Amino acid sequence: MSRTPRRSLRIGANVVGVVAFLVAIFPVYWMVNSSFLNRNEIRNPVPTWVPFGGNLDNYRTVFETDQFLNALKISLMVTVLTIVVALAFAFVAAVAVSRFRFRGRMSFIVTLLVIQMIPVEGLFISQYKMLEAMDLLNTVIGLSLVYVSLVLPFTIWTLRGFVTGVPYELEEAAMMDGCSRTQAFFRITFPLLAPGLVATGVFGFIQAWNEFTLALVVMTREDQRTLPLWLSTFTDVNRGTDWGGIMAGSTLIAVPVIVFFLVVQGRMVAGLTSGAVKG
Amino acid sequence: MRIKKTLAVAAMATLATATLAACGSDDSDGGSSSDGGPTTADIRVWLNGTDTPQDARDWLKKTFENQNPGSTLTIEQQEWDGLVEKLTTSLSSASETPDVVEIGNTQAPTFTSAGAFSDLTDQLDDLGGDDLLQGFVDGATVDGKTYAVPYYAGSKYIFYRKDLLQKAGIDVPTTMDEFVDAAIALKKANPKPANFSGFWFPGQDWRNGATFIWDAGGDLATDDGGEWSGSLESPESIAGLETAQKLFTEASGAPKDGNEADPWTPWCAGEVGMMSTPGWVTGLINDPKSGCPDTLGKQIGVFAMPGSDGEPAPVLLGGSDIAISAKSANQELAQKAVALMLSDDYQTIMAKAGLTPAKTSLAPLLGDDEFAQATIAAASNAKLTPAAPGWANVEGSRVLEDLFSAIAQGGDVTELAQKADEQMNSQING
Amino acid sequence: MNGSAPRARRTPLPYALLIPATVALAVALGYPLVRQVVLSFQDFGLAQQFGRPPEWVGLGNYRELVTDPYLWRVTLRSLVFCLVNAAVTMAIGVGLALLMRHMTSWVRVLLQTGLLLAWAMPVVASLTVWQWLFDTQYGIVNYLLTKLGLDFQGHPWLLEPLSFFFVATVIVVWMSVPFVAFTVYAALTQVSEDLVEAAEIDGASPLQRLRHVVLPAIRPVLLVVGLLQVIWDLRVFTQIFILQQAGGSTRDTNLLGTYIYRLGIGGGKFGMAAAVAIFMLLLTVILTAPYVRAMLKQESED
Repeated sequence: MSRTPRRSLRIGANVVGVVAFLVAIFPVYWMVNSSFLNRNEIRNPVPTWVPFGGNLDNYRTVFETDQFLNALKISLMVTVLTIVVALAFAFVAAVAVSRFRFRGRMSFIVTLLVIQMIPVEGLFISQYKMLEAMDLLNTVIGLSLVYVSLVLPFTIWTLRGFVTGVPYELEEAAMMDGCSRTQAFFRITFPLLAPGLVATGVFGFIQAWNEFTLALVVMTREDQRTLPLWLSTFTDVNRGTDWGGIMAGSTLIAVPVIVFFLVVQGRMVAGLTSGAVKG
Repeated sequence: MRIKKTLAVAAMATLATATLAACGSDDSDGGSSSDGGPTTADIRVWLNGTDTPQDARDWLKKTFENQNPGSTLTIEQQEWDGLVEKLTTSLSSASETPDVVEIGNTQAPTFTSAGAFSDLTDQLDDLGGDDLLQGFVDGATVDGKTYAVPYYAGSKYIFYRKDLLQKAGIDVPTTMDEFVDAAIALKKANPKPANFSGFWFPGQDWRNGATFIWDAGGDLATDDGGEWSGSLESPESIAGLETAQKLFTEASGAPKDGNEADPWTPWCAGEVGMMSTPGWVTGLINDPKSGCPDTLGKQIGVFAMPGSDGEPAPVLLGGSDIAISAKSANQELAQKAVALMLSDDYQTIMAKAGLTPAKTSLAPLLGDDEFAQATIAAASNAKLTPAAPGWANVEGSRVLEDLFSAIAQGGDVTELAQKADEQMNSQING
Repeated sequence: MNGSAPRARRTPLPYALLIPATVALAVALGYPLVRQVVLSFQDFGLAQQFGRPPEWVGLGNYRELVTDPYLWRVTLRSLVFCLVNAAVTMAIGVGLALLMRHMTSWVRVLLQTGLLLAWAMPVVASLTVWQWLFDTQYGIVNYLLTKLGLDFQGHPWLLEPLSFFFVATVIVVWMSVPFVAFTVYAALTQVSEDLVEAAEIDGASPLQRLRHVVLPAIRPVLLVVGLLQVIWDLRVFTQIFILQQAGGSTRDTNLLGTYIYRLGIGGGKFGMAAAVAIFMLLLTVILTAPYVRAMLKQESED
């Protein structure tokens, strides 16, 4: 009986999936396409749809100096530090607020939310003064510190949602089977949280990877530039912006995010199945 | 109740950082003395974008280090994009401030009146005195004290299609009226493409639009005993704005709300008869990767926009200032670096790269081809944006972009000008 | 049901777990936040930034702010923009996540890859490309519509505020959907297959299963994601800022985010900008309060 609706649901879902894929990917395609074109082909009344006859000149410009590799190094250090610290701190905090009832719990949750609501546009000057006082300007640690505070409230909130989503009964059942509370948590709940950790981890990674304004004011020395700052060197109001360079640079900047996602995703899927087997 | 507790924690954190701040400033003061800083140091110079040619950078570093044994000079390249954010923060930090900075000439007044730069009045004569571009010096002067000096300038002039003017039987215009007529005639003579411009004039381009106001005897804003106010609704300004509207509606095919970026694209697409752009645009039109050197690149002719009196029309002068950070611990060495950047040798390198030098006497170094002549002619009657303390606010809120875009769409000029004046008045005095 | 967590056992453990996050936030945000509040009561401009002592103006900034009818226009505009964008983003994001479970696996992987790529694209690049796509003269959108025989030659997409906000919505939604879809899909993978199957055996239709089994299970994540969308869309900044440079009227298209920026960095009035920021914070709190209360109430009833 449920055969036909299920099949039509699948076909419908597939059609929507392909259309959504095309919409999502087109600007990305356009970026990659433009990265192989000359400036006069990028901006032209007749669009160049496929970069046939394109060239690698834009990529050559990118690698002409060691600035890209240096910025890549800085960005990787800042982002990895941010992500590791933020996920670790957020994870334990999320467990605390969703698995325990204690005084001050609600105020903690609400405070986080309010922090999340503060408009950051005007905050960077104060953050600069703070880092100056701590003597952390132009350092990876300083920038990571402000990034952690940027992603932490969000990460705790989202992870909290995921922890709450795992029924506590599962843990109770395990405890009845003789597991200790901690064991039950790590055997049962933790594997189920893996997708949540990936989702929030990717989010934090992208936030820190692409952040511009704070990096702009904190990292003013050339050898401390992050990737978005390096990318902005292609914009030049007085000499005309090098669109090809921007697109080639952006394409390269996006690669580590994708690699990060694939690696983490693979690990987590593996973790998920092994957890399920044990459970 | 609980929120109070959180605040208490936050307050304690503040206290902790405040204490840290006190330690920090003690440290950084240690190295400097009150008479202008240590005798040797590393002088950090911030230059923006790629305007300053590499030769000039090399020369500056080498010469400075030769003349000041033991000291070094580091040029740190910054971008125009985000410069105000960066200067707002870095210049206020004693430990991180660069010693010498380049700043856009329209951005300078805001920072000079805020006390971000050191007073250069005493050095002014040694740096060039009356030979310096006077408008730039005036723009950086507050209450008789000068805080920044010109670095280089650049003004726009007219690019025109030689073939199209010839075909339409139009001579190079020598007065403003002839210019407007030529623009309209060119548009009529070229019905295709539909977006062809006799004069390419995107709606947001108030920087070129200002020329028409000034030429008609009006002004963007006027200073009445220290109190600035918008003067777009004066009869003269209105007349200029009406000329602009005529060009927008009868001669321009550019987007009515567009900006003036990338002018070489419409030029190479054959959509432009005349346009007013900076001189370096030739380079991009004649670069096979960005322009069309073999086709329309060959048809470029240039002249300085003529005024109603037959002299070059007043055009907006762009460019950069240099200044010394007031927080710099190395005032004396920084002054030496600035002196080198205004020296004839250095400015000659700048002029050879096509930048209008900071000293009027060096202008002939630009050369004598038609581009150089147009540059010199345009600069001869160039004007600056009002030196009002709040001018950056006016630009920041984009009052003028909105005004010209609305005029381009055929709005009522008098009404729009009144509205723009009103908005300007609430911001222009800082 | 849902005996959830152990009842108030007196243990210091949860407090210990909160210490790292609390300390990190207090160190990194404590001072900037307090300073933000202080600034909003001062006449603090660029000169004060460089050392001139600021003048206390009490509620002066706020008074100036709320008596300016322009602020209220911008506020109203921001609210409408925020609600529309959050709703559209959630509808598309959650819809895609739900459908992903029914897609053939290669389609799902394809879609996930597409969403990830869109998400990973640097903001500078994505905003530039979107701007090009809707460009008046050389935009692909106009090019294609004209090819289809419609009169879109030189159509100025940004000229009319409504059309401007349509383009902005397309961009904002395009940029936010990946996060929603990924997070919600991740939450869906937590939903026990057994429960769904049990419901199916009981004869529940797909829609019923969705309403009574799946959605309740992912409710916590849905609420958080939805709330975050509202918060983010209320203070949207970069997209609007870049589009304003490309066309349209700035005054008619300012939202609260761009308004703060133009007051603060654009105009050097940091005290005023701080006041607008606090105003925005209050606005967000008021806007989301019923939602948050419902969320927390449901939780404590559990």
